[in-house]
Amino acid sequence: MRVVVADDAVILREGLALLLQAAGFEVAGLAADAEELYPLVEQCRPDVVVVDIRMPPTHTDEGLRAARTIRLRWPGTGVLVLSQYVRPAYALELLSEGAGGVGYLLKERVSDLRELTSGIERIAAGGSVLDPKVVEQLVGRPRHGADRLGRLTGRERGVLALMAEGRSNKAIAERLFVTEHTIEKHVKNILAALSLPPSPDDHRRVLAVVTFLNSQ
Amino acid sequence: MGAAGDHDGRVRAKLALLGAAGLASGAGAAWLAANRSFVPYQTATVPFCLLVGWSFIGCGLIAWRQQPRNRLGPVMIFMGFAWFATFLTDARAPLLFTGGTAVQSLYLAGLAYLVLSFPSGRLSGRLERGLFWSAIAVTTVVQFAAMLVADSGPVLCSGCPANLLEVGRNDGLAGWLLQAERIAGAVLAVAALVLLVSRWQRASAAQRRAVAPVLWAGWATLIALAVSVANDIAAQPFGQIPKRVLFAAVATLPVAVVAVLLQRRLARGAVAGLVVELGGEATADLREALARALGDPSVELAYWFGGGQRYVDGDGRPVQLPGLAANRATTMVESGGRPVAALIHDPALRENPELVNSVCAAAGLRLENERLQAELRARLAELQDSRARMAASAEAERRRIERDLHDGTQQRLVSISMSLGLLESKLPADPEAAAPIARTARHALGAALDELRELSQGILPGILAERGLPAALEELCGRAALPARLEVAIDRRLPAQVETAAYFLVSEALTNAAKHAQASQARVAARCADGLLTVKVADDGVGGAAPGSGSGLRGMADRVEALGGKFILCSPDGQGTAVRAELPCA
Repeated sequence: MRVVVADDAVILREGLALLLQAAGFEVAGLAADAEELYPLVEQCRPDVVVVDIRMPPTHTDEGLRAARTIRLRWPGTGVLVLSQYVRPAYALELLSEGAGGVGYLLKERVSDLRELTSGIERIAAGGSVLDPKVVEQLVGRPRHGADRLGRLTGRERGVLALMAEGRSNKAIAERLFVTEHTIEKHVKNILAALSLPPSPDDHRRVLAVVTFLNSQ
Repeated sequence: MGAAGDHDGRVRAKLALLGAAGLASGAGAAWLAANRSFVPYQTATVPFCLLVGWSFIGCGLIAWRQQPRNRLGPVMIFMGFAWFATFLTDARAPLLFTGGTAVQSLYLAGLAYLVLSFPSGRLSGRLERGLFWSAIAVTTVVQFAAMLVADSGPVLCSGCPANLLEVGRNDGLAGWLLQAERIAGAVLAVAALVLLVSRWQRASAAQRRAVAPVLWAGWATLIALAVSVANDIAAQPFGQIPKRVLFAAVATLPVAVVAVLLQRRLARGAVAGLVVELGGEATADLREALARALGDPSVELAYWFGGGQRYVDGDGRPVQLPGLAANRATTMVESGGRPVAALIHDPALRENPELVNSVCAAAGLRLENERLQAELRARLAELQDSRARMAASAEAERRRIERDLHDGTQQRLVSISMSLGLLESKLPADPEAAAPIARTARHALGAALDELRELSQGILPGILAERGLPAALEELCGRAALPARLEVAIDRRLPAQVETAAYFLVSEALTNAAKHAQASQARVAARCADGLLTVKVADDGVGGAAPGSGSGLRGMADRVEALGGKFILCSPDGQGTAVRAELPCA
C-alpha cells in the first residue's frame, strides 16, 4: 500500500516514514507542507496521505484544509490527519466533509504499529477513523437536559465509543471478545435508544454517532 | 496700600496737570486762529483747532490712565500739543511764529507713530521703525533746513512775521526743500498705507475686530493726507477742501482709539460676568464661558498633567501646545509656581494681556478643578493602556509557551514514542537494529527534559520561590550571556510578586544588554531599604533604547508600575543603558 507523509518537523516526518516502512507500507514521498504535498499526491497517487494538522505558513489547521483539497481532487485517496491536540470540532469537520476515507488521530497513536496499520487500512478502504481520546471527550462531556446516553448500559456505551472510533462490528466483537451477533444486537439497541437510523455504511454510522455525540 | 495710593495720587495729579495745560493751549491756539491777520499757514478754523487738539489730549489722557505702560496715551497727548503748536504760525511775534513754523509738521510724525504702532504702542518691525524715523527726519530736519534759507515774505507766507532762523536768503533752495518735504511726506503716507493694508490682510478675524475702528480712521487720515499734500504740490487746485477733509479725518483718530478702549472695557466687564457664571453653576462649560469672556470662540484649554509631564485636554488626551511660530497664542496659567493650564487662543488677545490675565484669575479655581479631573482621566487612560498592554503581553506569553511546548517538547515525546514503537516491532526479529533506535530515543528524551526545564524556568524560576531574590539573581547573572557583576543588599524575603517583577526586570535587561545593546558587561544592583526595593541594571552598550522598540521596556515599566513602583530608563546614545526600578516592598 502506498503512503505519502506530510509534516513540517523533520524528526517526525522521518520517524513516521521509518515506522510506516517497518509496518510494511510503501512510503512513496515526504512533504514539508501542503504546497509540497499536492504535486506529490498527483505524481505518486498514494492510497493514503498522512498529514500533520499544523503546518506552515500559519501553523493552525493547514492539514485539515489539505485533507479537504485532497478528498476533492483525488477522491480515491484517503487522508489521515495527525494532531497533538484533542479537538472534536476538527475531527467532526473532517468526517462531515465527504464519504469516508478520512481519519483523525493523535500523534502519539502512531507508536502502536498495529493500531496505525489498521487505521490506515480502514481509511484506504473508505472507512473513518477517530482517535479514542476524541471519542472519550465526546462521550464523556457534560450534558444538559435529557441525556439519552443515560439510557445506555455501560456495555452499550463501550460499544458506542468503538463505533465512533470507526470500527466495524467485526472489529468491535474481536476487541470485546464476544460474537459479532452480540455486537449487532447492541448496535441495534444503541441506535434505537438514540433514535439514529441504522446504516450499512461504516462511515455514515460513524458520522451519525459522532454528530449525535457532538450535538448533545 | 499707602504706597500704591501715593502712586495713584501722583498719576492723577500728573494727568490733571496735563489736562489743564491742554485746555490752556487749546484756548491759546483758538485765540490765535480766531485773530489771524495774514495769509495763514495753518488753515484750520477754530472748531477744527479745538476738535482735533482736545480730542487728542483728552483721549490720550484716558488711554494713559487705562494703560499706563502703553505709549499710545503719551503719544496722543503729545500730538494734541503738537497740533496746538502749529497755530503759533498765526502769531504776530516773530519768535512765536518762527517756533511754530519749525514744529508745524511734527504732529504728523506723531500721527505716523500712532497708526503704525497701534494697538501695542510699540513699533514692532524694522519697516515700521524706518517709516517713523523717516517721518521724524522729514518733519524736523528738512523743515529746519528750509527755514535756514527761507524768507518769510516770498517763501513761507506773505505778510507774516520775520523768520528768525533765516541765515541767508535763497528762495530757490527754500522752495525746493519745502516741496521735497511735501513729496517725502506723501511718499511716507502711501508707504504707511501699503503697510497697513498688508497687515490687515495678514490679521486674524479677532485681530481685525480688535483694531478695526483705528485702522479705518488711520486709512482715512492717510488717504486724506496724501490727497492734501498732492493738492499742495499741484498749487492747490481744490483750495482748502482737502486740508479740511484731512483735519476731519485726523479728528476721527482719537475717537477711534477711544472706541477700541471702550470695547476693551466692555470685554473686561465680561470678566465680572465670567465670575458670576462660574460661581453660579458648576456645570457651566468652562471653555464656552472663557470663549465668551475673551470674545474668542476659538479658545482651547489644555490642563497640566504632572504625572505624564505633559498637557492634556479635558478628556485626558494628550495635547500639543502650538509653538512660538504658530498662528495661535498660548497663555500659561500657574498657581503657586505650579502649572495649571494653558489657554490656547487667537494671537489678537496678546494685545490685551490685562483681559486675559483677569479672565484666567477669575477662572482660577475652576481651572484647578478641571485640571484635577483631566489629570484623573489621563491617569485612568494610562492605567487602561497599561492594563491592555499587560493583558496583551500575558497573551503573547501564553502563545509563546504553547508554541514552545508544541514544537519542542511534545514533538520530541512523539518521536520517542515512535522510536519505541519501532523498537517494539524490531525486537523480536532484528535485535541488532534495536540498539541504535533505543539510543535515539534516549537522546530525544534528554533533549525533551532540557526543553521542559528551560520552559518551566522561563515561566517561573523555581529557585526564586525556594531561595528568594538574591539567590535567583545570582543564578541569573551566572548564566547570563555576558559578564554581569551583582551587588545585593536584601536581608529578608520580599512579597512574591515583587521578587518576580524584580527577577524578570533583571532577566529582561540582561537579555537586552546582550542582544540589542552589544554590551560587553553589565552591573546589577538590588537593595532593599525603607520599604523600597531598588533594582538597577546598567550596561556599557550602545544605548539609545526607547520603550516600544521591541526590547520589552514597555512591559517592564508596566509590571513595575502595576505594583505601585517607579520605572526609570536612562539610555543616551553611545553611553550605555541603565534601567532602574523602585518597588514598594513593605
